Amino acid sequence: MSADLSTTSEAMKSSHIVCSVRNLTVTYQTDAGDFPALHNVNLDIQQNQITAVIGESGSGKSTLALAMLNGIALPGRVTGGTISLSQHGDVLALRGKALRRLRGPVVGTVFQASQNAMNPLRRIGKQILDLGRSHGYKDPRILLREAQLLAKKMSMDPDRVLTAYPHQLSGGMRQRLGIIMALVLHPEILLLDEPTTALDLLTQSAVLQIIQSIHRERQLTTLLITHDMGVVAEVADTVVVLYAGRVMEEGRTAAVLRHPGHPYTRALIKAIPRLTGSLDQARPLEGSPPDLTMIPRQGCVFRQRCRYRMALCDNESPSLKQLEDGHLTACHWEGQSDD
Amino acid sequence: MKGFWIRLVRRLAGGLIMVLAVSSFTFFLVHFMPGNPVQTKLNTLLESGTPPLQAEAQVRSMYGFVPHTPLYVQYFHYIWQILHLNLGQSISYAGVPVLHLLLKAMPWTVIMVLTGLFISFIIGIAAGVVASVNRNSRMGDGLTMLSTFLHGIPQFILALGLAYLFTTVFRVFPFGAPYNAAITPGWSAAFLASLARHAVLPIAAYAISGFGGWALAMRASVSSVLGDDYILAAELRGVTPAIRLRYIARNAILPLFTILTLSVGFMFGGSIFIETIFDYPGLGYMINSALAARDYPLMDGAFLMITLAVIIANIVADLLYTVLDPRIQRI
Ligand SMILES: Nc1ncnc2c1ncn2[C@@H]1O[C@H](COP(=O)(O)OP(=O)(O)OP(=O)(O)O)[C@@H](O)[C@H]1O
Ligand SMILES: [Mg+2]
Repeated sequence: MSADLSTTSEAMKSSHIVCSVRNLTVTYQTDAGDFPALHNVNLDIQQNQITAVIGESGSGKSTLALAMLNGIALPGRVTGGTISLSQHGDVLALRGKALRRLRGPVVGTVFQASQNAMNPLRRIGKQILDLGRSHGYKDPRILLREAQLLAKKMSMDPDRVLTAYPHQLSGGMRQRLGIIMALVLHPEILLLDEPTTALDLLTQSAVLQIIQSIHRERQLTTLLITHDMGVVAEVADTVVVLYAGRVMEEGRTAAVLRHPGHPYTRALIKAIPRLTGSLDQARPLEGSPPDLTMIPRQGCVFRQRCRYRMALCDNESPSLKQLEDGHLTACHWEGQSDD
Repeated sequence: MKGFWIRLVRRLAGGLIMVLAVSSFTFFLVHFMPGNPVQTKLNTLLESGTPPLQAEAQVRSMYGFVPHTPLYVQYFHYIWQILHLNLGQSISYAGVPVLHLLLKAMPWTVIMVLTGLFISFIIGIAAGVVASVNRNSRMGDGLTMLSTFLHGIPQFILALGLAYLFTTVFRVFPFGAPYNAAITPGWSAAFLASLARHAVLPIAAYAISGFGGWALAMRASVSSVLGDDYILAAELRGVTPAIRLRYIARNAILPLFTILTLSVGFMFGGSIFIETIFDYPGLGYMINSALAARDYPLMDGAFLMITLAVIIANIVADLLYTVLDPRIQRI
């Protein structure tokens, strides 16, 4: 698989790759045995781009985010692969203080459950000061001033939100403050795990706009995790489709949306009312999302839900192959369809 | 801040109702006890030739009520007296007002119980954190086992064991009495040193008996906080281990304040054994000797004092909780 990725066109761009994940496998130990939540995942994150990782619940998105922070803890284990950052080497080899310096100053994270990602007994401003102290700021109040500016930009009253306890704020405010807590440390990479999931549609698009404008302004490299193809279409430059811990398809967002190569990607696109135009045309995905214990050990992991299933799919797992420049898909089926 | 005051007033009102309930309970208990002590005392006085009016006055000042007026009159009279802090007179210390005796006994108990409680709380919490963070290691398991063991030992056995071990087998500490009788009480260094030396064992008895419970509760609480999102989030934002531990500890201690209530009651109850074993003239000792001497007014008064102490401790614990948990004030 890695051979596919190091084709000449990729190599030409490699100077812009900030983070590259190679053959990453993460297993969770359960009573029923060990199951891989990520299996031989390869991924390149380009500088100054918004890369989206999309997949249903349980596809391994948060596991990938955790791995990028070297935060996989028991019962999970990284059983293979590397994650290298262009400036900082292999993340998975970092320990102790070096690891702490990665978390925050290099990779800033906005958590999936951002609602609950703040200490309920401490005012937000104090928690930001704690970040400053943890990362060696001589005067941590610099971070507070920074947070005030960001809060103002995100149309919140800085004095109120920074002196508030988390429970005194709305979900949308907490989400924005979660983003602020990631940004005050000036990370090179911004990692967002479903930043808009718990929000209503209006707040959701406001938060997405904020993310986009800050991404541009600060020339960040952003990894956006989502299960919503609508979000991908709105903000992402590049998209990686994850299913059952495997990469199904990847490419420029426009190309993937226009000519989805994988039946799963196609189904994800169909599931979005905003993209198909009307609500009754939107079709939910058939079958249930992947469950680690039910994933076939052999052949294509998606075949049970696939309408183009062939005999080959039962035995041989498809490898990523190139459809067009930089657009890869892992599917045996080659016919065209426009249903 | 408004929430704080509303809460305080509500708790004080609740405390007053509690005091009335306990006094009513004692009233009826003494009144309906087989061999009604009030009636018995009245009869004894009459038999010994005391004029009826004088006998009644004497019984009234002891118990606060006289048997042959209607029950409800007696009851309201009794409650009225209590609200004026008139707890009657002691029988075994003839003629001494109960309140006077209790006020003298009170400091011994309160100081010992609070010191013991404080020490057990601090050590128990530290042990609980260590046991939880080092779960599945020998130290963690050892601490958990020790806590479970100590938590299971009855207080009086613990007190007797300590007394036997450290005053008889190893003569490290003096036995009995709150201070050396040869030294005149006062603010002299010798007296204070003697006071402290005598206090070590009883305080240790309180502390050790409470320690296990705190350690086990804290261990469970820390384990649950460790699984909370904000702790993982703090870790993934790269906070220092010290800050992370502070986040964990503060969030884990909070639920323990609800147990503080139970523990204070348990500790004051334990004073009955511990003060008797170590010969301390506190409330527990007083209850025990009043029981032996059938000194009902003193017994009632002492129970009332303990009730009062527990209620006050509860109010303090509750207010502390309000201060420590910002989420409370919304309610
Ligand atoms: N601590 C754990 N123990 C066992 N299995 C786990 C654990 N954490 C995650 N998993 C499993 O790993 C798989 C991937 O989980 P992950 O949280 O990465 O999914 P996700 O794509 O983020 O899903 P969602 O959209 O619901 O957040 C799931 O099947 C999940 O059941
Ligand atoms: Mg997730």
